[in-house]
Amino acid sequence: MIAKTRDHSSGTFRNLITTQKAQKGDERGIAGNVRITSHNATPKLSLYLPALFVIVLACIPVLTKNPVFLQIMILIMWYAYLTCSWNIVGGFAGQLSFAHPAFAGLGAYVSTLLFMYCGLTPWLGMLVGGLFAVLIVITIGYPCFKLRGAYFAITSIALAEVLRIAVENTDELFGIKIGGPMGLLVPLRGHSPLYMQFTTKEHYYYVILAMMLFGLFVTHRITKSKMGYYLAAIRNDVDAALALGVNVTKYRLLAAAISAFLAALGGTFYAQFVLYIHPSGIMGQYLAFELVFIAIVGGRGTFIGPLLGAFTLVPLSELSRIYLGGGYSGVHLLVYGFLVMLVILFMPRGLSAPAENIYLALERRLRPAWALERGDTDAAAKR
Amino acid sequence: MPLLSVKGLTKRFGGLLAVNRLDLSIEAGEILGLIGPNGAGKTTVFNVINGFYPADEGEIEFEGTSISRLKPDAICKKGIARAFQIVKPFGDMTVLDNTIVGALARTGDLKKAAREALDVLDSVGLWDKKDVLARSLTIADRKRLELARALATKPKLLLLDEVMAGLNPKEVEETVALVRKIRESGVTIFLIEHVMQAVMNLSERIVVLHHGSKIMEGRPQEVANDERVIKAYLGEEYTFARSS
Amino acid sequence: MSVAMKESIFNGLLMGGVYGFMALGLTLIFGIVKVINFAHGSFIMVGMFTGYWFWVLTHIDPYLSLLIIVPLLFLLGYQVQNVLIKPVLKSEAEVREPIGILVLTAGLWLFLDNLALLLFGPNFRTAETPYTGQMFKAGDVLISAPKLYAFLISLATTGILYILLKKTLLGKAIRATGQNRQVASLMGVDIYKIYNISFGLGVALTGVTGALLVPFYPVYPNVGFVFDIRAFMIVVLGGLGSIPGALLGGLIVGLIESVGAQFMATSWTAGLIFVIFLLVLYLRPEGMFGFKEEW
Repeated sequence: MIAKTRDHSSGTFRNLITTQKAQKGDERGIAGNVRITSHNATPKLSLYLPALFVIVLACIPVLTKNPVFLQIMILIMWYAYLTCSWNIVGGFAGQLSFAHPAFAGLGAYVSTLLFMYCGLTPWLGMLVGGLFAVLIVITIGYPCFKLRGAYFAITSIALAEVLRIAVENTDELFGIKIGGPMGLLVPLRGHSPLYMQFTTKEHYYYVILAMMLFGLFVTHRITKSKMGYYLAAIRNDVDAALALGVNVTKYRLLAAAISAFLAALGGTFYAQFVLYIHPSGIMGQYLAFELVFIAIVGGRGTFIGPLLGAFTLVPLSELSRIYLGGGYSGVHLLVYGFLVMLVILFMPRGLSAPAENIYLALERRLRPAWALERGDTDAAAKR
Repeated sequence: MPLLSVKGLTKRFGGLLAVNRLDLSIEAGEILGLIGPNGAGKTTVFNVINGFYPADEGEIEFEGTSISRLKPDAICKKGIARAFQIVKPFGDMTVLDNTIVGALARTGDLKKAAREALDVLDSVGLWDKKDVLARSLTIADRKRLELARALATKPKLLLLDEVMAGLNPKEVEETVALVRKIRESGVTIFLIEHVMQAVMNLSERIVVLHHGSKIMEGRPQEVANDERVIKAYLGEEYTFARSS
Repeated sequence: MSVAMKESIFNGLLMGGVYGFMALGLTLIFGIVKVINFAHGSFIMVGMFTGYWFWVLTHIDPYLSLLIIVPLLFLLGYQVQNVLIKPVLKSEAEVREPIGILVLTAGLWLFLDNLALLLFGPNFRTAETPYTGQMFKAGDVLISAPKLYAFLISLATTGILYILLKKTLLGKAIRATGQNRQVASLMGVDIYKIYNISFGLGVALTGVTGALLVPFYPVYPNVGFVFDIRAFMIVVLGGLGSIPGALLGGLIVGLIESVGAQFMATSWTAGLIFVIFLLVLYLRPEGMFGFKEEW
C-alpha cells in the first residue's frame, strides 16, 4: 500500500510537505505499470485469464485434427510471434521498422544451411541464426539509430532490400549453394523431433505455441522493467530521455538486438514448417507490411496487441489465399490496408483499447464475488 | 572547491559566436542566476554544460572532475539535472510514469523508483494529477512535471531554464517557494530566468550574459544598478537619455 | 568510348530525368506537408493504369491522356490529404516522432495496389502505342523515343511547377507554409487548404510520371513498388524536401542503373543503389549535396 511505503520512504522532500497529505492515505496507488495495490489478497483476473487462454490453445489439437484449421492456427501464432518481436522496436522503441523479414530470412537461411552442410539440428541452428541477426543489428543497424521517423523507416526498407537482393543474386557463396531466387529445399528427415521436423501439424502447433508464449513473455517482461520505461521515454522524446540519464543508444540497440534475435528464431520455424525458403517470400517486403499492420491493428506498443492483431488479420489472409489462390496472393492486403487506415483514423490504440475496457469491466464485475468467497466482506461492501 | 566550474567556455555555430570564453563557478548550496537579453547565449550554456553540445574550447568541471566530453545521460548520472525551457513531457505516459523515468536514473528497482517519484510529485504539487497523461496537462503543470522529473534523478546541481515563463503571478510565487525548498533540501541551483522579480528574489549571485560574453557578475542589487547591464537590456539610447 | 557505353549514359540520363521528376511529387509533399507519402508508388501505378486504359479504349495519342490524369489525380490527392491525412496530422501535431501518417500512407499503398490487382489481375500489360519501340538515331547512338519524350515533358512540367511556385500568389502561400506553418497561419494562410493543394499537386505530378512511362514500361498492379523505393532513395540522396536535390538524385540513380548494367546483372544495380543510399545516409544524413529545404 502506498500510504505505508510513503511513510517509510526516506524521500528528500518528505518533510517539505505539510498540506494535502492526510487525505491521501487510503488512495489506491497505481503507479502506471507498477501496481502497488491493496487488492493483492483477491485472486487476480490478470492471472486467470492468460491461464485460461493458454489452456484453450493447448487443447485445440486434442479436440480437432483438421489440418486446414491447424494450419491457420499455426500461421496465426507465427505471425503473432513475429509481430511480438517487431513490437519491441516498432512499438516500444517507436521506430517504424520494415527490416524484420530480413532478420527472419537470416534465421531461416542460417539454420537451414547449417542443417544441410553441417547436419546441425535447427534447434541449435536457430540460435546461431539469432546471433547472426544480432550481429547485423550491431554492425549495420547501429548507424541507423540516430535517424528519425521517416528516415529510419526508409533506411530499414533499404537494408532489408539489400539483403534480399544479395541472397537473390547469389547462387553460391564460398562453395555453399544458397540457391539464388529459387531458394532452398530443407532436407527431409521424416518425423524427427530432434531435427524440428514433424509429419503431423499438431507438433508444429505446440512448437509455435511455445514460441509465441515465449515472445509474449519477453515483451511482457520488457514492459514491466526499467527498459520498458526507458524505451517509452525514448519513443516520446529523445532529448528529454537523455537529460534524465537514459543511455538512448544502448537501449535502442538492446531493443533492436532482442527484437532481431526473436525474429530470426521465427524464420527458422518457418523454414522447418514449410520446408522451403526463397528470398522473395520470407525476406520480401510484404511480410514487413503484414507485421506492421498486424501490430497497428492490434495496438502498437502494447503487450497484447500482436496477439489481437494476428488473430484478427491472419485468418482473413489465409482464407483469401485458400479461396482466391495463385496470382491473387496479396489480395488480402487490400483488407489489411483498409483496416489499417480505419484504425489509424478512428482507433489509434488499435484493438487493445476495447480489449482493455472489456478486461477492466470484467475485473470490476468479478472482484466483489471473489472477495465474498474469501470472506472479505469489506471489499464487497464497497461495490 | 566549487561544485561546478566553467573555464574559458566557447561555443560557435558556424560563424556565430554563441558563448565567448565564459568563466563561472557555482558553490555547493547556492542559487546562481544567469540572465541576459534574448539571444545572449544562456540556453546554449546549459546545452553545453549538460552535454547536448560539445564545447569548442574550454573546460567544465563538476566536483573536481572534467565533464566536458561526457554525453547528457552520463552527466545526469554524475548529478546534474535539467528542466528544459521548452517543456518536453513524455506525452503518452502518465505524470507518475514520467517521473519514474527520472527516478530510474538512480535505481533499477521499479517499486523503489515509483515511491521516490510519488514523493517528488507530492513536493511539486502534482500528486493529484499523477495518473493523468502528460500531454493533457496545462502549461503550468507541464513546467512542474519538468521540474519533478529532473528532481527525481536526485541531482546535486539543478539547471532550471525559464521555469517561470508563461506562469501567472501566483504560480510564479509558488514556484519561487518551491525552488527555495529544493535548495533547502541540499540541491544547488543554477537558473536562467526572464521573470526579474523571481530571479532577483531567489539568486544569491547573478551572472549577466550579453552576446555570449559575461559582462557582469555580482549580487542582485549590484547587478540591477549596473550601467552595463541596463545598457545591454535597454540599449544605448535609454542610458543616454537617462544620463542626460 | 564504346557505342554501348554512350548509349547507356544517354539512356541513363533520360531515365534519370524521369526518375528525378518522379521524385518531385514526393519531395514537394514532404517539403510542404512534412509527410512522407508511402503511397507514392501507388499513385504512379494509378497514373499508369489511367494512361493505359485511356490508350486502349480511345486510341488517342497517349500523351493527351495527361489532360485527364492531371485533374483526376489532383483531386485524388486533394481528397486523400483532406479526408485521410488531415485528421491524423491534427491529432499528432504534438507528437515528436509521428508515425501514424507513415503507417496510414503505407496502408493506402497496399490498399490501392491490391485494389488494382483485384480489378485488373496480376498480368503485365503493355500499351502498343505509336511511340512504343520507336528509336531515334543520333550519330551511332540509338535513343528510345518515348524516353526522350518523357524526359522533355518532365522538364517542361518542372518548369511550369517552378513558375507556379515562384511567381503566383498561391505558390507564395505554399512556400510560406513549407517554411513555417505557424507564421504562415498567422499571416492568414489557411494552411490545411494549402496542404490539400500541395498534396494534390504532388499526386498530380506523380500521375504525370505514370502516364509518361506507359509507352515504354509494362503496367501491372504493384509496378509502383519499383518506383516507390527508388523515389525514396532519390529524395533522401538529394535531401528531403529539396527540388534540385530530387532532380540531381534522379540523374545519379538513372546513370548508376544504366551504366551499372554494362558491368553487372541488372538485379545487382538495384542493390548497388541501396548500398550507395545507405552510405550517403551514414556519412551525410542531410543528403548528398546538402541542399536545405528551400521552400
